[in-house]
Amino acid sequence: MRRREYLYLVAPSVLVMFGLLVIPLVRTIQWSFERVRYGSPGTFVGLDNYRDAVTDPRFLSAVSFTVVVTIAVVTVLVLGGYLLAVLVNGLVRSRPLVLGLLLVSYVVPGIIGATMFSWLFNDNFGGVVNQLISALGLPPVLWFTSTWANRALVAASVVWSLVPFSMMVILAGLQGVPKELVEAARMDGAGTVRTHWSVIAPSIRGVLGFVTLISIMDVLRLFDQLIPLSPQAVQIGNESLVLYIYNRAFLDGGQQLGLGSAMNVLLIVIIVVMLLPFIRDTAREGRS
Amino acid sequence: MANREALERPTTTSGRDAGRARPPSAARGPRTSGLRKVAAGVVLAVVCLLMLSPVLWTAFSVIKPTNVAFLNPPVYTFEPTMDAFVDLWQTTNFYQYLINTLVVAVISTTAALVIGLPAAYALSRSPGWVSVVLLVAALVFRALPRTAVVLPMYEISRTLGIYDTTFALALALVAINQPFSIWLLRNFFAAVPREIDEAAMLDGCTRLSMLRLVLIPLMGPGIITAGLFMFLFAFQEYLTAVILTDVSSSTVPVFIATQLGQTLPLLQQAGAASLLLTAPVFLFAFVAQKYLIAGLNAGSVKG
Repeated sequence: MRRREYLYLVAPSVLVMFGLLVIPLVRTIQWSFERVRYGSPGTFVGLDNYRDAVTDPRFLSAVSFTVVVTIAVVTVLVLGGYLLAVLVNGLVRSRPLVLGLLLVSYVVPGIIGATMFSWLFNDNFGGVVNQLISALGLPPVLWFTSTWANRALVAASVVWSLVPFSMMVILAGLQGVPKELVEAARMDGAGTVRTHWSVIAPSIRGVLGFVTLISIMDVLRLFDQLIPLSPQAVQIGNESLVLYIYNRAFLDGGQQLGLGSAMNVLLIVIIVVMLLPFIRDTAREGRS
Repeated sequence: MANREALERPTTTSGRDAGRARPPSAARGPRTSGLRKVAAGVVLAVVCLLMLSPVLWTAFSVIKPTNVAFLNPPVYTFEPTMDAFVDLWQTTNFYQYLINTLVVAVISTTAALVIGLPAAYALSRSPGWVSVVLLVAALVFRALPRTAVVLPMYEISRTLGIYDTTFALALALVAINQPFSIWLLRNFFAAVPREIDEAAMLDGCTRLSMLRLVLIPLMGPGIITAGLFMFLFAFQEYLTAVILTDVSSSTVPVFIATQLGQTLPLLQQAGAASLLLTAPVFLFAFVAQKYLIAGLNAGSVKG
């Protein structure tokens, strides 16, 4: 392909991404060094915002909340996605029906899914889950006001909305595992668990690595679910990083736009570092 | 490929046991395998029920009369009613938000495809440092926190006087989803052999007419898949919509979020709105699952 043709073909997409992603991103970086609010020009304050960010207890609590939820959710997503994929992989005629039912929580908008999820747990709306817990003779759980119960609730809701994705990707991986490989392991006397652990899972580790990475990125961006599920997020220390940035930089009239921007930059640095192995692979693939 | 080593190892062992080769299910006996199937079926049925329980419970609460809708403990016998849906339609601007959501989704999907297709094609055919930079940029932008681009977009849209318009929101979503869309389309293009382009161009097509007349029809399923994902992402978006819109161009997710802090009848309406949005999504999951799965695979396993 001639160079000119190439440039014509990529130009619209590059212009859109440059104008609407790179320029805003540069603005965020610029704001991170300023004391600034919407509607008025900022003043340069050097690294003050970064210092304020890393010493703000609310920021540290948002970091710890986000990390805890991410680790828990990603573990469940990979294990649960694997188990579900194995079960669905055994289906023949009913597979489209089961996949269709399982996909619903993934395609419903996050905030709407989480709203419906919250009504199962909220005592003001029937509290059907606490009814079941009481029926078992246990004390009702304060799903919205107790820090850890609320974390479990948020984590459950995120798993609910993302497990269809990990199941689907792992299912595709499982279908690429040759049948002879599995049969050979069986004939060597390996049980089901052993076959999965030593043969099938290692042979799709590329897929598992990918699911882990995407899940980490998705959970690090946690925001939508917290609006209905954690109305008291600030008071009980369950703000996610993005919710914290939103609350600080936007909700109160953009008072802390510089601080919020500094946190955005910190979050980007963390994400890019995590992406480095994938960036290397992409660069290699793009050259060949 | 990750599984190449794993592939090679066990072939030797299977050679040793070739003499007593029997299908594993037969070796274990039909009864155990039947039991296993039943157990797996029961587990999956329970999982499906649990996964659908939030939707089912919402549906159950929405068709209750308002005065008993959210009683604790919940009532299980009542006269079903559609009042919440009627109220939603008559007393709120739900249809306006629904139209906004659809307009934003349609505009941003169309624009994302028109802009993304040529770029994805070029990336799939032409290796080199420009492609490397674009692909890496696409990967990084895909992973960015939304707030890093949407907070400045708020200021920019105010300056340009397009704040709170469906146009601005659609434009923002085209940009935000562009990395995913060119990534996905590139993988679909990569599956089409280059010889096809060359043959068409020998027959006198220009690059663009070849793309339009030959490749795009060939890529049909891939384009449908990418379009469905773009539509889905636009339809689901909350953070971008809540920042870039106010009263006149809000979308359904923003509307539902504002209903949350309200009184019970309004909450029941929010439930009705959630269901009205879930019903098409439900159909969508069944009709489009083939494409969604193809997209998840192309976008992930190869990428």
